Amino acid sequence: MTWSRQHPAGDAGHRVDPAPGPRARPAGTGAARKPRLPGRGVLLAAPAVVPVVLVVGVSLAAALGQSLGLMPFVGEPSLSLRGWSGAAAELATSAGASASIAIASTAVALVIGFVLAAHVLTAPRLGRVVAALSAATIPVPHLIGAGSMGLLLSDSGFLDRVLGLPDGFPALVGSPWWVAVIIEYAWKESAFVALVVLGSMSRSMPGMCDSAATLGATAWQRIVHVVLPLSGPALAVSGLIVFVYTIGSYETAWLLGPISPEPLSVRAVRLFGSVDLAARPEAMATALVSVAVGGAAILGGVAVLRARRDLR
Amino acid sequence: MNRSSGPSPRRRTVCVLAAASALALGSCAGEAPAAPTYASFEDVRADADGQVVDLWMYGGDEQGNAYVDDILTPAAAEEGVTLRRVPIVDTPDAVNRILSERQAGRTDGSVDLVWVNGANFSTGQQADAWRCGWTELLPNMELTDPGDPLLLDDFGTPVEGCEAPWHKAQFTFFYNSATLTDPPTTLEGILRWAADHPGRFTYPAPPDFTGSVFLREVLLSVAGGAGEVPLEYSAEAFDELAPDALRALDRLAPSLWREGATYPRDEQALTTLFADGEVDIAMTYGPATLTDLVGSGTLPASTRVLTLDEGTVGNASFLAIPANASDPAGAMVVADLALSPEQQAAKADPRTWGQFPVLDTDRLDADQRARFAELPASPVVPGYDELSRNAHGELSAQWVSALDEAWRQEVAAAR
Repeated sequence: MTWSRQHPAGDAGHRVDPAPGPRARPAGTGAARKPRLPGRGVLLAAPAVVPVVLVVGVSLAAALGQSLGLMPFVGEPSLSLRGWSGAAAELATSAGASASIAIASTAVALVIGFVLAAHVLTAPRLGRVVAALSAATIPVPHLIGAGSMGLLLSDSGFLDRVLGLPDGFPALVGSPWWVAVIIEYAWKESAFVALVVLGSMSRSMPGMCDSAATLGATAWQRIVHVVLPLSGPALAVSGLIVFVYTIGSYETAWLLGPISPEPLSVRAVRLFGSVDLAARPEAMATALVSVAVGGAAILGGVAVLRARRDLR
Repeated sequence: MNRSSGPSPRRRTVCVLAAASALALGSCAGEAPAAPTYASFEDVRADADGQVVDLWMYGGDEQGNAYVDDILTPAAAEEGVTLRRVPIVDTPDAVNRILSERQAGRTDGSVDLVWVNGANFSTGQQADAWRCGWTELLPNMELTDPGDPLLLDDFGTPVEGCEAPWHKAQFTFFYNSATLTDPPTTLEGILRWAADHPGRFTYPAPPDFTGSVFLREVLLSVAGGAGEVPLEYSAEAFDELAPDALRALDRLAPSLWREGATYPRDEQALTTLFADGEVDIAMTYGPATLTDLVGSGTLPASTRVLTLDEGTVGNASFLAIPANASDPAGAMVVADLALSPEQQAAKADPRTWGQFPVLDTDRLDADQRARFAELPASPVVPGYDELSRNAHGELSAQWVSALDEAWRQEVAAAR
C-alpha cells in the first residue's frame, strides 16, 4: 500500500522554506539597503518581543534573585545556594513526580485525542456529535474539571454511590499513582489534541479517506495508513504543548494528588505560601526547576521536530 | 545614511531592556512608607470619613462572610466608612500580597485590614509589615481585659498594639455519636481508639492550619501535658520533644484512613470525609461553624463535640492593619466597631456566626451584659466556658513551621 506516501499537501508543505531569512533575498538589491534590514526587523518584532522579554525576563530574573537570597523580604541580601542545595533530594523527587505525571498524561491524552479525531474524520455523522462533545470540554477550567473529577472519583464520590464499587476497588483520588490527576489531564487535554489534529487536516483528510475507501481500504486501514501518518506533526506539537502545560499546572495535582510526593508546582506554591519567610528561596528554586524542565522539553521537542522532517 | 557612529538598534534594544529590568528590580529596595499617625481617635474618625477599607479574610466560611456583609458592613457605613470584604483562600495570600507590595515600594497598599493570627501575624511582624501601637486609640479596647494572656501574646508573639482582637477560638474535636458510642476523653485515648479502629481516623496534612494544630496537640500529649513543652521554641527543646511525637504519628499512620498513604488536604476535606461517614472523629479550630453545618444537614444530626479532660488549645484572632495600608484610619474605625459590644454579641449568636467574644464581661454595663445573656445556646456546641476548660495557650510560632516540616519529611514522605 503506497497511498499514504503520496499526499501532495504534505510534500508541498515540506518544499516551501517556512522562514525565508535575509539570505534568501535576491542578491544585488543594493548594498545601501542591507544594513537597514536588521533595524526594521527589530522594530517589527518589538511589539511582540518586548512585552514577552520584559515580563518573562524580569520575572525569571526576580525568581532567580530570590532563589539565591539576593531579594529577601527581611534582612540584608546575601548570596546563598541554600534554596537550591538545602533540599536537593526533595527537588529531585518533585521533578520526578512532575515529569511522570506529565509523561503519563500526555501519552494518554495523545492516544485518546487521536482516537477522537480519527473517529470524527472517518465517521462523519456520529463524528460531529463527538467533535461537539470534545470541543465543549475545552472551555471548562482545569480547576472546575479537577473539582468535578474529585466529586466523581473520590472514595465516596458519585461513581461509588451509583455503582457501589467493591471495597477492594483502588482509591483514585489521592492515590500514590496519581490516577485521578492523570485522568483529569487526559480528559481535558485529549480534547485539545483532537482539536489540533482536526484543525490541521480537516480539509485534506475527507477526500483522502474517501479515495482510500474507494481503493478498498477498511476503516482500520484508513486510520492506520492515512490518518495516523498525516497526524504526526499535529500530534507531536500538541503533545509538546500538553507536556509543558502539565509540568507547570498546579490546581489538578494539588486537588486530586496525594500529599507526598509533591510535584514541582504544588511544592513551589506551598513553600511560597509558607509562614516561614526563609522558605521563599526554596519556593523560587522549585519554580525555576519546573521552568527548566519545561524549557528542556521545548528545546528537545523542537530539536526532534527539526531533525525529523516527517514530523514537521 | 550612515549609522555606524551610533549604537546599533539591537544594542539599543538590549539597553532599553536592561534599563527596564533594572528599574523593575531596583524598585524592590522599597523604603518604609510614610504613613499618617494619629494622636486621638477623633483624628482617626475625621480622617476615616469616606475611606474605603478592604478587609482581606478567609472566604470559605459562609457564616463569617454573611456576618461581615450583612451586619458589619452596614454598621461601618453609618460611621462613614465603606467596608469591602476581599475573600481569600488562605491568610498567607494576604500576607504575601502585603510583603510583595512592600518589596515593590508601594505605599498605597491594597490591603487595609486582615483577619490574622499566629504564624501569619508573626511572619508579618518579622518583616515589619504591620502598623503598630494603634489599638490603644480604640475606645472599645477598654472593654477587654488588659491582662488576658490570649490577647497579649499571639502564638508567643507579643501583640504590642499591632492587631486588635476580634474573637476567640477553641480547638475542638467532634464525633459521630451514631457510630461512636463510647468516645475517648483524652487525646491519648483518641490515638489509641484510632489504632484500634483502622481507617476511621485521620487529620489534615500540615501545613494546613488545623492539621498543624493537631500536630502540636499530639506533641503536648506525648510529652505528658501542656506544661512539659516550653512555649518558646529552641532547637534543643525541639530535638528532645519532637521525635517522640513524630514517631507516635508514624506508628499510627498504618491505622489511619487510607493507611496513612495520604491525608486530607485541609480541614474542609476532613469535614467532607466525616460528613460522608468515612471517619468517625474530626476536628476544627472554629467550633462555631458546627451549629450551622449540623443545622443545614451537611453534618449528621448525631454530631457531638468531644471535650478532652486535659483541655485543648485556645487562641484569639485579630484584625491587623498593614504598615502600607492606603486607608488606615478607616481600618481603625472598623476594628473599633468590630470590638463594640453590639457587634461582638451579634457575632456570638450561633445563628449568625457563633464566634466567641473577646470582651471582658466584668467591664460591660448591665445592658451590654444582657445582650450576651440573651444569646441562644447552640444545640451542638457547648458554651465557651465548657469548651475552654483546662485550655492551654499556643506554642510560639517558630514551633509551627519546624514541626510541619519535620512531619512532612518523617511521616508523610516515609510511606
